[in-house]
Amino acid sequence: MAVFVGLFAVILATCFLVVAAAVRASARHEIGEELRLAGTLFVRQLESRSQQLVAATRLLSGDFALKTAAATADQETTRSVLANHRQRIEADVLMLVSTEGSIAADTRQPGRLGAAFPLSRLLEEADQAGEASRIAVIDGGLYRLAIVPLLAPVPIAWLCAGFAIDDRSAADLRRLTGLHVSFLRRQDSGFTMHASTLDGADRDELQRGLAAAPTAGVIKLGGHPHVIRAEPVSDEVLVVLQRPLAEALQPYDSLFTTLLAVGSAGLVLALVGAVAVARRMSRPVRELVRVARQVSAGDFGTAVSVGRRDELGELGTTFNEMLAGLRDRERVRAALARAEGLKRFFSPQLAEILSAGDESVLASHRREITVLFCDLRGFTAFADTADPEEVMRLLRDYHETVGALISRYEGTLERFTGDGLMVFFNDPVPCPDPAARAVRMAIEMRDAVQRLLEEWRRRGHVLGFGTGIDMGYATVGRIGFEGRFDYAAIGTVTNLSARLCQEAGDGQILVSQRVYAEVESLVEAVPLGALTLRGFARPLIAFGLLHLRADGPEARQPLAKDGRPLAREQTG
Amino acid sequence: MRRRAAIAALLTLLALIAASAAVKAQARSGPVEAVVTDERGKPVADAVVTLTSPGMPAPATPRVTVVMDQHDKEFVPHVLPVYIGTPVSFPNRDNIRHHVYSFSSPKKFELPLYIGTPAAPVLFDKPGVVALGCNIHDWMLAYIYVVTTPYFAKTATDGKGRLDGLPPGAYEARVWQPRMRGGTDKTAQPVTLAAGEPAQVAFVVSLKAEWRVPRAPDSYKGAQGS
Repeated sequence: MAVFVGLFAVILATCFLVVAAAVRASARHEIGEELRLAGTLFVRQLESRSQQLVAATRLLSGDFALKTAAATADQETTRSVLANHRQRIEADVLMLVSTEGSIAADTRQPGRLGAAFPLSRLLEEADQAGEASRIAVIDGGLYRLAIVPLLAPVPIAWLCAGFAIDDRSAADLRRLTGLHVSFLRRQDSGFTMHASTLDGADRDELQRGLAAAPTAGVIKLGGHPHVIRAEPVSDEVLVVLQRPLAEALQPYDSLFTTLLAVGSAGLVLALVGAVAVARRMSRPVRELVRVARQVSAGDFGTAVSVGRRDELGELGTTFNEMLAGLRDRERVRAALARAEGLKRFFSPQLAEILSAGDESVLASHRREITVLFCDLRGFTAFADTADPEEVMRLLRDYHETVGALISRYEGTLERFTGDGLMVFFNDPVPCPDPAARAVRMAIEMRDAVQRLLEEWRRRGHVLGFGTGIDMGYATVGRIGFEGRFDYAAIGTVTNLSARLCQEAGDGQILVSQRVYAEVESLVEAVPLGALTLRGFARPLIAFGLLHLRADGPEARQPLAKDGRPLAREQTG
Repeated sequence: MRRRAAIAALLTLLALIAASAAVKAQARSGPVEAVVTDERGKPVADAVVTLTSPGMPAPATPRVTVVMDQHDKEFVPHVLPVYIGTPVSFPNRDNIRHHVYSFSSPKKFELPLYIGTPAAPVLFDKPGVVALGCNIHDWMLAYIYVVTTPYFAKTATDGKGRLDGLPPGAYEARVWQPRMRGGTDKTAQPVTLAAGEPAQVAFVVSLKAEWRVPRAPDSYKGAQGS
């Protein structure tokens, strides 16, 4: 963000400097142009005044009395007429010059007669053009001069009128143009100041400065730079216009100040904007980071708050979708893990159903179930003496054998204690023939285990296998704690079937009267009379199952709960 | 007798007159043609060519008044050569007044505002150039050139002038023109005239540019023009 703002500041500053430089250059150019224009107008103005002077002098020259005096009268009269006529046009000097070029009368110096007129070139010009005017120096003074012939009707003399150009007339001109005005005479030795609106010290500086920059430029006057423009008004006289640079630049300086203010305000705004934008950018990014950390810590329940429609909003939405996907996958994974666990209790098919998410079946409930207990006789002694590897191998074979049967008969494996296990039927998924299933499974299990026992006996291990079955109501449901749940059945039926199992000898399957009543048509059994079982006050009628009746209904064909034969699983 | 004598005397006189006329006719030269051009060969008008003979006695002045008209606010002619001692009248043919003057040294005079012909003509009795002006019309300009010889001619626009009836002999020819550079004496050239034979004299002059006051427009013309 700092980089962004810094970059912006640099760009802004560059723009500002470029604009400021351009404005200043333009200002300098404008001032130069302004002065150039003023100079042109000024010279035009001077020319116009000269023409007015020529016209006034011409008017004077037409005076018959003047002509008469000049042609016929004595010098004293002529001088007197000139003095009178000078008054008429308010000139500073009036001279009569003979056609030969000598002064015939002069209002300034009455005594000077016969001297050569100092501006012979002006006379030549007038001789050519009929009249002439010029700003020139006479006797050290600067004059605007006009010279016309005295026609009678051929030229009999020249009448020359002059207006002094002094500080007063310079001040008049300044009022006209608003610019400082100086009149200087250029000679080989340098510039001589004749009239000016400047102060004494500035005049000297201007004289010196002009030697360096004779036409246009900037000259320091009184320590302040002045833009100057020199316009020649005759071959030796120039008028110099001056304007203080600071004064000329004043409007541009105020523009500059405005520009600076606007630029600064822009920078501040940019800073605020940049912070706002950066926040706007960084806040959702930080949010994303936070949520991603949560997710990486395993919390899939979180989500990014999305309140925008830009790319970041899109990113947030996508992130949330990804989270949802992760959550689904996690749920599947958990379900799979649960299904793995459930397989312990239920048949794989049922476990699949449960893993799909319907866990309501696991809630505690009361139901009539058929419970089967079985264990190996003499296993404890065997385990104490035998090789551990042998014990484990034996258990593996045994578990494989009974496990396969439990799966096939869709029994719920409730407990697994080394050599003993407890299986019940009709829960969590009800089945129409829990007792029959238990009994069939018990007989098949006995036969299979007996075959195992035969094998073990050949290897020197004498073990037996007993089974007990009872049916009745029990409280069934999930017990335990998070991470270690068990599905358990609590009730007398559990205890009784366990006692029957304890009572059973090797190869014996003891069932309660209740069970027998359910499977009487299915199996051959021998009544064992009333057994007194530990923990039970009353004696219990028990039957020892022999084998399935050969003529029994659906002999040796256990059915799945949907009534279809289970042969599919057996063969598949 | 007296009568016869009178007749004889008359006849004699007539014969004398006739004889003198014949002598005179015989003593005259042919016409003298003067040609004045500028440096580029262009004919110069209003140039006055004079022929003078140093030994020739000045003939009696005829005292015939010549005229310098003022017509349409201009002098007519622009250049008027006169034999010294000639009176010149200045009739004003305009319906406005004129104020004719001259400050030239041969003749300084002034005819203040007048209409018609002034009663007395002005006598030009000194040789030289007299520039004429009008005080109320600055552009009006004319020259009366007072010469000391009766033999003079003014060139026309073709630059030519003609002098007749000069006695044969050696002369000096001169020319003068208002705009001419240099004095007239510098133009002197000898001319010898033989009885009954025409002669020619040619001058090449250098003219200055003439700066003249422009004519003021007539008020009605100005109104039309605007």
